[in-house]
Amino acid sequence: MSATTTSGGAAVGAASGGERFFLEREKVLGPLMLLPAVIYIVALVGFPLVLAVLYAFTNVTVGDPRIDGTGDFVGLDNFRAVLNDNVFRKALRNTIGFTVISQIIVIILANILSLVLAADFKGKRLVRFLILLPWTTPIALGVLGWFWLLDSVYSPIDYALRRLDLLGPQTPLGPARNMYWLGETELARFAVLLVHIWRTLPLATVILLAGLTSIPQDIKDAANVDGAGFWRQLFYIRLPLLLPIMAVASLFSIVFTFTDLTVSLVLTRGGPVNDTQVLATWAYFKGIQGGSLAQGAAIALFLLPVLIAIAIAMLRLARRAGAD
Amino acid sequence: MAVVETRKLSKRFSDEVMAVDAIDLRSTDGEFLVLLGPSGCGKTTLLRMIGGLEPPTSGEILIGDRLVNHLPPRARQIAMVFQSYALYPHMTVYNNIAFPLKAQKVDKAALKLKVDWAALILGIDGLLDRKPRQLSGGQRQRVALARALVREPNVFLLDEPLSNLDAQRRASARDELQQFQRDIGTTTIYVTHDQIEAMGMGDRIVVIEQGRIRQIGTPREIYEEPADTYVATFVGSPPMNLIPDGGDLVGFRPESFFPLDDDGRSSGDDLVRFTLTDAREEYLGSEKLVYGEVNGVKAVARMATNAPLSVRDGGSAPFGVHKQDLRIFDRESGLRRQLARAAQVEPAPVSGAPGR
Amino acid sequence: MRTPKLQRSDLSTSALSRRSVLKGAGAAGLAGYLGTRAGAGAATLVQSTPTVNIQGTSLSILQWQHFVPSFDTWFEQFLNEWGQANGVTIQLDRINTADIAATFAAEIAAGQGHDIVEHIASLPQYEEAVLDMTDLVAEATNRHGEQLEMCRNNSFNPTTNTFYGFTHGYAADPANYRKSLWEQVDLPDGPTTFDELLAGGTRIFQEQGVQMGIGMSQEIDSNMAAQAMIWAFGGSVQDENENVTINSPETIAAVEYMKSLFEGCMTPEVFGWNAASNNQLLVAGQASYILNSISAYRTAQEQQPDTANDIFFSPPLVGPGGQDLALAHGHAVFTSMIPTYAQNQDTAREFLLHLVANYEAASENSKLYNFPAFPDTVPDLFTEGGWLENDPAGSEPPDKLMPLSAANDWTVNLGWPGPANALIGEAFNTFVLSDMMAKAARGDVTPQEAVAEAEQTLNGIAEKWRTEGLIGGGQ
Repeated sequence: MSATTTSGGAAVGAASGGERFFLEREKVLGPLMLLPAVIYIVALVGFPLVLAVLYAFTNVTVGDPRIDGTGDFVGLDNFRAVLNDNVFRKALRNTIGFTVISQIIVIILANILSLVLAADFKGKRLVRFLILLPWTTPIALGVLGWFWLLDSVYSPIDYALRRLDLLGPQTPLGPARNMYWLGETELARFAVLLVHIWRTLPLATVILLAGLTSIPQDIKDAANVDGAGFWRQLFYIRLPLLLPIMAVASLFSIVFTFTDLTVSLVLTRGGPVNDTQVLATWAYFKGIQGGSLAQGAAIALFLLPVLIAIAIAMLRLARRAGAD
Repeated sequence: MAVVETRKLSKRFSDEVMAVDAIDLRSTDGEFLVLLGPSGCGKTTLLRMIGGLEPPTSGEILIGDRLVNHLPPRARQIAMVFQSYALYPHMTVYNNIAFPLKAQKVDKAALKLKVDWAALILGIDGLLDRKPRQLSGGQRQRVALARALVREPNVFLLDEPLSNLDAQRRASARDELQQFQRDIGTTTIYVTHDQIEAMGMGDRIVVIEQGRIRQIGTPREIYEEPADTYVATFVGSPPMNLIPDGGDLVGFRPESFFPLDDDGRSSGDDLVRFTLTDAREEYLGSEKLVYGEVNGVKAVARMATNAPLSVRDGGSAPFGVHKQDLRIFDRESGLRRQLARAAQVEPAPVSGAPGR
Repeated sequence: MRTPKLQRSDLSTSALSRRSVLKGAGAAGLAGYLGTRAGAGAATLVQSTPTVNIQGTSLSILQWQHFVPSFDTWFEQFLNEWGQANGVTIQLDRINTADIAATFAAEIAAGQGHDIVEHIASLPQYEEAVLDMTDLVAEATNRHGEQLEMCRNNSFNPTTNTFYGFTHGYAADPANYRKSLWEQVDLPDGPTTFDELLAGGTRIFQEQGVQMGIGMSQEIDSNMAAQAMIWAFGGSVQDENENVTINSPETIAAVEYMKSLFEGCMTPEVFGWNAASNNQLLVAGQASYILNSISAYRTAQEQQPDTANDIFFSPPLVGPGGQDLALAHGHAVFTSMIPTYAQNQDTAREFLLHLVANYEAASENSKLYNFPAFPDTVPDLFTEGGWLENDPAGSEPPDKLMPLSAANDWTVNLGWPGPANALIGEAFNTFVLSDMMAKAARGDVTPQEAVAEAEQTLNGIAEKWRTEGLIGGGQ
């Protein structure tokens, strides 16, 4: 160091010494490590979001997506048009309905399933693996599988029902030879719900399972010694202790379900008569396929308040978890 | 109140090792019985089997002379305090204490009376509305005790309940806990690896090693009349000195090992003389330890700080032990040679004595 | 890119293995074929000479995956031969038709992408992002004679006086019926009128247990069926001036008819279909009558020869509007667009001209799926003793495709009698017509209410595009 100072001058010496540890300084390293995340968020989340909001107030179309000037802004016209549209109202109702109903069912089933999986039995690992499979399957592929299961002619479910004499002429579900799962409103809605449940249940189960196994053995032992039976332990110990992690699982699933495009798009294309149309599919049909980019953006923006509320809820949960 | 008894109680986990190996044990009514041993010796497993949290591989458990092997924990009339206290984190102190009563479907008024009573006894009546995370370690421990107490069990099972407290707090908690047990007079089985807790609190101590009982006795018996070299060296700090002598090991406590005057003035018939070589002194405030070697084996002496001793570091000095303080062990088996005689003299039970 | 996602009607199944089998078989048949016609496996019939220097340029094409796989095999070779002959670097990307619109939208937003985008329908809503093809249409007309009016209208916006696409061919949309079923209700050549369709279809359903397959789902075939029915009953969605005219007694009559048809001979499956479903039903032998191109039949020829032998074709049905209004859309209208951002616009134009010049090969290799927009380019198709009378891809009887011989007359553009505009484009993509039919057929609302609701929706859409200046009318 002193040699450097004498030969190259004080400035050089200080610089080289500083450079050596430059990257280790927290003020330098911190922002540097954060940079990729910031770039990612700005470029892939922030920019599209801002664009979507802007689009919703303009008259852009797929053929002319440029905002050329203030003349392109049309105020609330898109929202008025969207709100006046019966299909939009249906899509909004369906989106909320599918999300709420499927997630209530998912939470109940995930609790039961995780309790079962937490128990000791032979082949536990295999069963856990199988249950997780739907989650690891690409969603489009999974839904396509369901699409065939629910096919109007070839449905294996219908085949099974026919073999069991439940479907077909002179049977409880007959006289038709098929259920027409995707053709009848109630059945189509049921099918969409079913696929959402099928898809989000594994994650919720695994999260809850992790929560269950993180409950200290001592607490379970204490409850045993204290004389609590299965139900008392379930409702007074396990479920309350699982509540925070259940909220996390729920919020994840809600986001997935609420914003989902694939299930309705592949399974029903929103049919019959838009009875399974959701905001994401309707924004796609209207904005991309139909060309009304601005209205599509306006439709998609209705997802935003719910997602913001969920984001806030998640942050709160995270903060509370950090405080403990 | 009840007597806890185990008969040839064994536990083998999936591996071949016996965690608990054919243990025979019988408490007296209202006794404070300490299970002492190093970690992994099987003492906690033994306790959990008594509590019904772990099914035994073989053997019998009796509480109040009733076979309880097939009873679930809640039917065994026991209460347990865990090392972590296992308080229910989402419940207030009040609800934690009330939980066992609610499980028993005690009516609301009686429940409140009992909770208040338990809280009062343990001095936590001001904390009933708090959540466990708002309590100190000592307060949590007392909540756990209160929760055990309200059930008015026949037996308390305590699993290292003081190990999560800091050293200062632990000393006073020891005293409180012992006092508490004396007051309520419930048979208590207490697991610890801490010999000070065991010595200070236990009516009797059960020394366990590798799943087997090494010795059962009062703290004084355990300390003064160890049944074998294991007990002799496990209990006491620093442990008993063991000097080989032919086929024997001659054992004596550090505090019985004292320096002799240079002129050998303090000689006598009852004195056995040793030369401590390579001596080194360690100052501990109220007392000091002198380390060195006797016949090539490490030995240590404990004495008051002001005890007269002039030995250079690394030097030699004459040391002695009174004959009555010597304990002779078989070098091969480690068993105490005069134990049989001592047992005749002392009324202390020797069941479960080592049978290696 | 070949994920079997949203299949259009012509793709009878989405099982990839079946497709590849088909493709292999098609290619093998093709090789022997061309050997007698052209020299040593060449895909090119005429090597057209570029009018501008395109040497050293490149050309990238985004194209829909053809429903007759042999076409894609041929096209690849054809494109490569042209590239080599003219020193043009070629890049061909094929994706599912259902993904074209979205991919194109993404490329427009990015301001870069392929030089040619080809879809099976006109995409009037993209007009502002593509080149005006007026010169190209004129040049092609100059070289090969008149373009079919239907094809012109399908890519022309009279309001802006712009060709937003270049339509080089189309697929006819006849009826496909199972002859054996209709023989038993004394209609061996299939129904010719809507009355016969209802009566015969109902009897077949009751007596033979086979339903009819005219969709009312949220997909394109259902839209086309609904539109054809409206025409036949004398109604229209818009007039020549692009005013919404759907709310008419004629349309209401068409909706009422559809309701009776559903009640008489269809099952609720028709509400939940995707575009491939009616094909599947036909190939499975479970449909008496569907409206579709010949691709389902071509698939059946490979997979279910017995079923294929029982499938016959007929022209659009005659309704209350009379013979002149027995019309159909082009089931697919092959429309190429050159985006404004395209780097090689001249090269793109030259290739499209070259494609038209070789349409005889295109038509043949599509197994007559592709009909030419410039009829003179495929003289063998409609002539006496030509391909329709003697199917080169093999049919039993060989003249099975003869009902398509007048297709140029009964096929009209999307949105007829108006132009194929953004109003109709968005209406199709948001399923206004098929939903109108479905709501009435299910009894959710009366036919009158369904039509009124559709009118309101269409007016909203039209208003928006009028503000954009892309459609006329509204006075």
